[in-house]
Amino acid sequence: MSLLSIQDLQVEFSGFKALKGVNLGIGDRELVTIIGPNGAGKSTLLDAIVGKSPVSKGKITYQERDITNYKPHEIARMGIGRKFQNPNIYNDLTVFENLLLALKGSHGIFAAITSKLTRLKRHKITSVLEQIGLIEYAGTKAASLSHGQKQWVEIGMVLAQDPSVVLLDEPTAGMTPEETHATGEIIQAMSEFHSVVVIEHDMEFVKQIAQRIVVLHQGQNLAEGTVEQVQNHPKVMEVYLGRERIAA
Amino acid sequence: MTQVLPGVQESAFPRKLALMAGIGFLIFAVFPLLFGEFQISFLGKLFLFGSLAIALDLVWGFTGILSFAQGVFFSLGGYAMGYYLKLNLTAGSSDYGGNLPEFMVSNGLEQLPWFIAPLQYFPIAMVAMVLVPAGFAYLIGWFIFTSRVSGVYITIISLAIASALNTFFVSQQAYTNGTNGLSDIAPLSFFGAKIPPIGLYWMCLVFTTAVLIGAWWLTKSNLGLILRSIKENEARVSFLGYNIASYKIFIWTLSAGIAGIAGGLFVALNQFISPVYMAVPFGTQVVIWVAIGGRGTLIGPLAAALILGQVQNYAEQITQDWQLIIGVLLLIVVLFIPNGLMSLVPKQFGQAKSPSKSNSSHSDAGYLQAQLVDWITPLQKLIKTTLTIVRNNRPRC
Repeated sequence: MSLLSIQDLQVEFSGFKALKGVNLGIGDRELVTIIGPNGAGKSTLLDAIVGKSPVSKGKITYQERDITNYKPHEIARMGIGRKFQNPNIYNDLTVFENLLLALKGSHGIFAAITSKLTRLKRHKITSVLEQIGLIEYAGTKAASLSHGQKQWVEIGMVLAQDPSVVLLDEPTAGMTPEETHATGEIIQAMSEFHSVVVIEHDMEFVKQIAQRIVVLHQGQNLAEGTVEQVQNHPKVMEVYLGRERIAA
Repeated sequence: MTQVLPGVQESAFPRKLALMAGIGFLIFAVFPLLFGEFQISFLGKLFLFGSLAIALDLVWGFTGILSFAQGVFFSLGGYAMGYYLKLNLTAGSSDYGGNLPEFMVSNGLEQLPWFIAPLQYFPIAMVAMVLVPAGFAYLIGWFIFTSRVSGVYITIISLAIASALNTFFVSQQAYTNGTNGLSDIAPLSFFGAKIPPIGLYWMCLVFTTAVLIGAWWLTKSNLGLILRSIKENEARVSFLGYNIASYKIFIWTLSAGIAGIAGGLFVALNQFISPVYMAVPFGTQVVIWVAIGGRGTLIGPLAAALILGQVQNYAEQITQDWQLIIGVLLLIVVLFIPNGLMSLVPKQFGQAKSPSKSNSSHSDAGYLQAQLVDWITPLQKLIKTTLTIVRNNRPRC
């Protein structure tokens, strides 16, 4: 039984079908990588899962509960965390404050007013800072970080939420090769405790982390399997031919 | 276990800030004893305008909701107090026949409307002064914020509310006395003793100080963090599990409640309220105080209300076109100091940072420089800093 399962999912934007029936199952502590050409509907799929884009048909089940078209904050509280494509962190706040904001716990108003920075919270934030390697930047305003570091803060915010399912939309976009590699290690460590879904373009990176790959094309499942299986899949070769060659 | 994280502040009691606020409070409490009655009342009003501006700063400066309807909530609180004082004056004098205010008589009402009658009792009037504006704000807020209306549309709605309510109060001549508003009202008194102007002034001062401290404390808590995040990127906060709508409704309602009390005190001081304070021009004035003082600074809007009020007072004596002077001032601020007057004050000032903590050696030079900009106790800080540097560089055995 999958932790998160998506059945025949369709998403429409004023007549345009971005997703035409996608199926996907993610097991507990499984690492799934989604690839596909531009416009395949990868980001839309994540948008639909977190409640950002309305689902017109199909079903999303999480922990055997139908969560289709729930509100974003409800889905987030259930334990699905999302990292967006562009770093979406709070530039005005320090790295520490960004993580404090994301920290799992009560999200009510009075809890927010009366909450104190307990030792437990400090400890939790410190451990996230260690995982993303930014411990010495705790007090730095997020605005003054490099692009790669911002991406890590964003990943850290998802970790601080302590979700069961982590959705990462292009976590390595704009990173140097070294940063990309380090990110791969962060993600692999993450998958020991969380189910992780990664959207990626960089095939080198996909090879580093991938266990199971799902290929989307024009809003539909195209293929699924290991790196080798997918690379040698006739349909995948056809789709990528003349665009970017998948074999890197 | 607790690791020292560089640059992360421990939440400590802001001694410096409290001291400054205490001194300021004492000056404003004692100084007016030298003034005449008019100046005392005038300063009291400016303080109430200041608390109104602080309340708007919570909504606009911190949460990013620009509203021109702050005057509406102010007036609703003001009318609650106004009716209370009006009814108590009328009850005492039998000139107009019973306890019906003269404008109701002249407009053909024969008895006190049921929705105004309870306001003749002090406790009910006091509760209404807070709950009517807050309840009205909650209702509007619920509709606006749960329907995901955002940005400039909220501002437009606030303009519409201000205009609509103004028109409504003007049109209900029999109940509100229209454009004339409530005048010729009883002075506020406790147990039969009339409160002198200086007493009212002190009430305003204490109220505004409480609003300032309360707002400061709120915005320093996690709530402040969440509000600032909503302002910067509200979609992202909801993906962290926060229900943005409820946060917005909360701060919007709180702000209206503060405005209501300010309005009530204003009527006690001013002896007059009219729909003018609901209309867009007054709402715009509140926005101007916040913009000129500095959004998200709390003390800035208060200072701007005090200073601009005085400027306006003098400008009015010189020329009828005093609004031109305020307008030019606003232009200058928007063009040259977009973050308001508070952005001219050195950063270090007013921040609750304890000097010897959490500063690693790599930033000693910058740290020294930052401390020198502080113009409160530069010498003391310099000595402290030098001592720290000397101590850090001492050879270890």
